[in-house]
Amino acid sequence: MKKVPFVDFAAQFQYERDAILKAVTGVFERGDFILGKEVELFEQDFAQICNARFAIGVANGTDALILALRALGVGAGDEVITTSNSWVSSAAAIGLLGAKPVFVDVNDDQNISPDAIEAAITPKTRALMPVHLTGRCADMPRIMEIANKRGLPVIEDAAQSVTAKISGLTAGSAGTIGCFSLHPLKNLNAAGDAGVLTTNDEKLANELRLLRHHGLKNREEVVHWGYNSRLDTLQAAVLRTRIPRLEGIIKRRRANAERYTSALAGVVTCPVERPGEWHTFHVYVIQCERREELKAFLADRGIDTKIHYPIPIHLQEAARYLGYKKGSLPNTERQSTRILSLPVHSYLSNDQIDWVCESIHAFYR
Amino acid sequence: MKKVRYSYLPQQFGNPDEILNEIRKFLGKCQFTLGPEVAQFESSFASLIGTKYAVGVGSGTDALKLPLKALDIGYGDEVITAANTFIATAGAINEIGAKPVFVDVTPYYTLDAAQVEAAITPKTKAIMPVHLTGEPADMTAIMAIAKKHGLHVVEDACQAILAAVDGKNVGTIGAAAGFSLHPLKNLNVWGDAGVVVTNSEEMYAKLKLLRNHGMANRDEIAVFGYNSRLDSIQAIVGNWIIRQTHEITAARIANGAHYDAAFSKMEKHVRLPFRRKDVRRVFHLYMLHVDAKHRDPLVEFLLKNGVDAKVHYPIPLYQQKGLAHLGYRPGQFPETDRQAREIFTLPVDQHLTLEQQDICIDTVRKYFEAHA
Repeated sequence: MKKVPFVDFAAQFQYERDAILKAVTGVFERGDFILGKEVELFEQDFAQICNARFAIGVANGTDALILALRALGVGAGDEVITTSNSWVSSAAAIGLLGAKPVFVDVNDDQNISPDAIEAAITPKTRALMPVHLTGRCADMPRIMEIANKRGLPVIEDAAQSVTAKISGLTAGSAGTIGCFSLHPLKNLNAAGDAGVLTTNDEKLANELRLLRHHGLKNREEVVHWGYNSRLDTLQAAVLRTRIPRLEGIIKRRRANAERYTSALAGVVTCPVERPGEWHTFHVYVIQCERREELKAFLADRGIDTKIHYPIPIHLQEAARYLGYKKGSLPNTERQSTRILSLPVHSYLSNDQIDWVCESIHAFYR
Repeated sequence: MKKVRYSYLPQQFGNPDEILNEIRKFLGKCQFTLGPEVAQFESSFASLIGTKYAVGVGSGTDALKLPLKALDIGYGDEVITAANTFIATAGAINEIGAKPVFVDVTPYYTLDAAQVEAAITPKTKAIMPVHLTGEPADMTAIMAIAKKHGLHVVEDACQAILAAVDGKNVGTIGAAAGFSLHPLKNLNVWGDAGVVVTNSEEMYAKLKLLRNHGMANRDEIAVFGYNSRLDSIQAIVGNWIIRQTHEITAARIANGAHYDAAFSKMEKHVRLPFRRKDVRRVFHLYMLHVDAKHRDPLVEFLLKNGVDAKVHYPIPLYQQKGLAHLGYRPGQFPETDRQAREIFTLPVDQHLTLEQQDICIDTVRKYFEAHA
């Protein structure tokens, strides 16, 4: 039996430990712990890889969403259209601001359905929040067309999809604001919580910088209410050591995905990349029959799989007050019983991937 | 010219190898989120303050926001707090949708209990006293008012680690209290971090949910929550420094006493704030008063002569243009206004030498010799 872990931090940090410690020591020696140079340099690098004009570092991906909504003036009584098969933060950010998350269904690729968006727009709709789930972009050309027609801002939840592309658009650069998580489990990861926003709008960039720092324009003057949500300088230093490696990491993940897809096509439904897409495979999600049995079977063979996510947000206790029921979002709900994430990280060997594929074949034989 | 700097971080962390070694070990274990370092810090912090529970969070601001949220305070509710506080106190109240209601303060910078009662309305849900500068608020009076009106008390203890009043550490008195571990605080880490303490098991359980996405377990979301976790790397720094907290506190108190003795002899020009007996003020900030016309020139003189003086804070929140929508009138809080005109802050940290303190004292004296 070959062990196949879902993530392999140990491998990554073994490899990078010295570079990270050096970066941490550098911050420490400058005594520059809050915002400062390191954060600014990271923001410049990050904006560049996203093809966006501005990047603003914040404490985490959830805060990135909250600040984006706030910057666009979303508040009590407003509706924001998003999906239910996401990590809870997209809906929580909307709910915590007193606005209402309006969940619409997804397509077979697990991303938001533009048709469903159009059907859900009401006079109360204040923004659209497509989620680029699993490392692949939602249909941004169509979504922007709808948004522009209706005059609605678009917040891209790109937490899982740094540098993903569709039709020449990079995640976080096509909408009004892009929101990213840099959590340790992400493709571009800090050694703790961290997040970042992108935008091409200078006014919004300035607004986000105010919001992350108590609304203070200098030490003494408050422009308006804000938050304390700053990207830790230490984490910015760690992240800067990793940006140069990101492209290589994603190439490895794409190669791993391709190896899975060529071996598993026809046995399970694979996440096939379409023309014009650049999928970054934050997770490699298959859709399959007898999911729970397969998961247990793989676990017995030392293969660690996950489900992202088994309970859609609209069916969570936290969302009960919104009044959704089983059956409200048929595609989302059906997928939640069929999806399974296979290990796809950049430290996997071909042997390990082949072992996963053989095992899946064996299960369905 | 001898300089007296405000930030002491280079001295404090002059020999960081012990911490860096811990970080090296941590990077090998790869348990980044809410790992054993955070649990260890929380347990040490709870025993330091004397509460049953401590919960590490993302910042001092979040350490105020999360307990309010845990008490189900939100849209349409009011929370009473001090008019002279830092923006984060009011920002935390606003963040959960509630309205901060300002009340004037005592001559020792904390919420004036007598005025709190007048500010209570049917919408009031909580009182948030601020132990500003490390000076504890009048908790006995505030708790009595809260009890009478059925209000929650959440202490803003961001500046007041180990401050005590009526024999009790701040943070042990209200329903919960928020502390900041920001690099400039008495117990400080290398970035933003905060901690909430409470004796209530129910509050503790809610805080743990709210700081971590409302997750009851990996798959189930009980409430919409925040992401506000004490970073493990910051917890490593915190675990190193928390062992020194009593020494740090004692050193700051001694520095405060040295200043007090010197400045009380300059009473013609410089006034100490009212010093209550029977409290432990921990001198996060050492503040003095001068006539308003002298304040800005004095601070400028100090800076020019190498003493890193500051003003915490020159514009009261209720007079901030950005918060004009709250509807306060200039002059509504005379004590807060007086303080904003008169106060200045001298370095008082644990690394300050007697010689450096004496430079600060002499420089103030020189200013008045020249300008009296």
